[in-house]
Amino acid sequence: MKLLTHNFLSSHVKGVGPRGFPLRLQASEVRIMPVEFNPDFVARMIPKLSLGEVPTEPIQGYEQNEDFLRTMHHILLEVEVMEGTLQCPESGRVFPITRGIPNMLLSDEQTEA
Amino acid sequence: MLKKLKSAERLFLLIKKQFPFNVSSVNKGKICNEMQRLINDDPESWLNTISIWKNLLELDAKKKRLSQRDANLLKRKMGENDTVITKKLKAEQMQKTQENREYQLEKQAEEETLAQGNFLTSREKLQLEECQNEAAEAAGTPSQNDLTFRVSCRCSGAVAKTFSAQEVGRIIGIALMKQFGWKADLRDPDVEIFIHLNDIYSVVGIPVFRAPLASRAYIRTAGLRSTVAWAMASVAEIKAGALVLDPMCGLGTILLEAAKEWPDAHYVGADVSDAQLRGARDNLKAAGLEDKIALLQVSVVELPLPSESVDVIISDIPFGKKFKLGKDIKSILREMERVLHAGGTVVLLLSEAHCRSLTDGEESSIPSNSEGRRTDEPGAEKCLIPEGETGTSETVPPSLEASNQECLPKIPPFGSLMPVECYKVSLGKTDAFIYKYKKSHSSGL
Repeated sequence: MKLLTHNFLSSHVKGVGPRGFPLRLQASEVRIMPVEFNPDFVARMIPKLSLGEVPTEPIQGYEQNEDFLRTMHHILLEVEVMEGTLQCPESGRVFPITRGIPNMLLSDEQTEA
Repeated sequence: MLKKLKSAERLFLLIKKQFPFNVSSVNKGKICNEMQRLINDDPESWLNTISIWKNLLELDAKKKRLSQRDANLLKRKMGENDTVITKKLKAEQMQKTQENREYQLEKQAEEETLAQGNFLTSREKLQLEECQNEAAEAAGTPSQNDLTFRVSCRCSGAVAKTFSAQEVGRIIGIALMKQFGWKADLRDPDVEIFIHLNDIYSVVGIPVFRAPLASRAYIRTAGLRSTVAWAMASVAEIKAGALVLDPMCGLGTILLEAAKEWPDAHYVGADVSDAQLRGARDNLKAAGLEDKIALLQVSVVELPLPSESVDVIISDIPFGKKFKLGKDIKSILREMERVLHAGGTVVLLLSEAHCRSLTDGEESSIPSNSEGRRTDEPGAEKCLIPEGETGTSETVPPSLEASNQECLPKIPPFGSLMPVECYKVSLGKTDAFIYKYKKSHSSGL
């Protein structure tokens, strides 16, 4: 699971609502995977991110600041959490991450096709 | 370059198309003659088509000629057309390369289609003329006497009662050998000749490529056939920087096609099944698209995403035959509606049963809970969506008449999801509908 993906996830435990963001991430195994740098893509994703306490307006001209974009690229796309957990900040419910895929099924429904 | 046609199943060069053979007189000899005439009446058209076919293959191999600009232009235009053309294609797409050079589409009569079809004509004409010119320039035409061939025959309808496919194959094969001196080779022929005889038409053609266009090098195991998956993605208006979700991704076919063609978006696939996700992960690895597509194990009716966070949703809703649909379709749509941005797009592949379920619910205005899930009505011939098939199977072209007479089901808006377009597609043995919704900006829930 990349950090970019993590930034889009929010707890869906009943009754939690917006207080379910962000999910607390605990990683026990992390991999750094090189990903081709696409500055345009990174620049577009930045406004979509929810960065918490940070002021919501990015600094003027961030789209041209290559260093900044490269850093964001590395953090968002090249860090891959292979094993770990996501925890709902409100309810405390824990979801495992296995082989890079978070399991966030609330009920016990797993259909083996 | 023709290989870039992503929602076409197969591409043929048409040699002959004519009215079905009259089988009323059960005189085999007579019909035999008629078949032979397919070849003997007009050997010119056969030779012409073969040389065009050769040129196309040479061009493909050399990869020069048509500049990238041309290829892109054609590709883009094809992209616009394909969504409409796709369903019209059913199993095959015929291309007439005779003097007339018309581009024939077997289709329902829609103006839009016609206009696009014509545009395609001029584009294809240009391309083929270039082919021809190059052939003329090239040092003489290659000898056509040393071709090996194989006849592939499909018969249905009245003709099939009198002749078996093998018999027809043999008749045509012998006639070809007599006329042109080609040799038959069942194992590894140079050319394959395709013949379709049924109650609607008699067609003879040559496939342009050995492998169907629908087969993808980058998909290891396909779920939904890749042509339909690509078509759905192209209807979805994926823009750069979009967050695209497939909440029932299965093996990830739709996401793979989309990420391959529109790489500047963030793709997320979700499924409840371990097995499917494992398959999806393998597919992503094999295609080298792991960086573009994230996978989650979640349920489509409980998406761990904030409201209004997703730009595009594309999904093949399980038809209930191969994979169980745990929740009813309305709950699914509701959750999709929740996570979708205002102005966002939803593209769904629905079975007829799904369409009914959505339509009836609205009309009777009964709360959705009591709807339950529809089972297929008796008499409806629904079959499994074949797994692993990417159009390579021998699909029988469905009767054209049926598709021309049925009207597309009218699905009403679903909450703030406004229906935009609907396309009927063939999945081989079943038909399905690609439905596109847009979420309206109107304030509300």
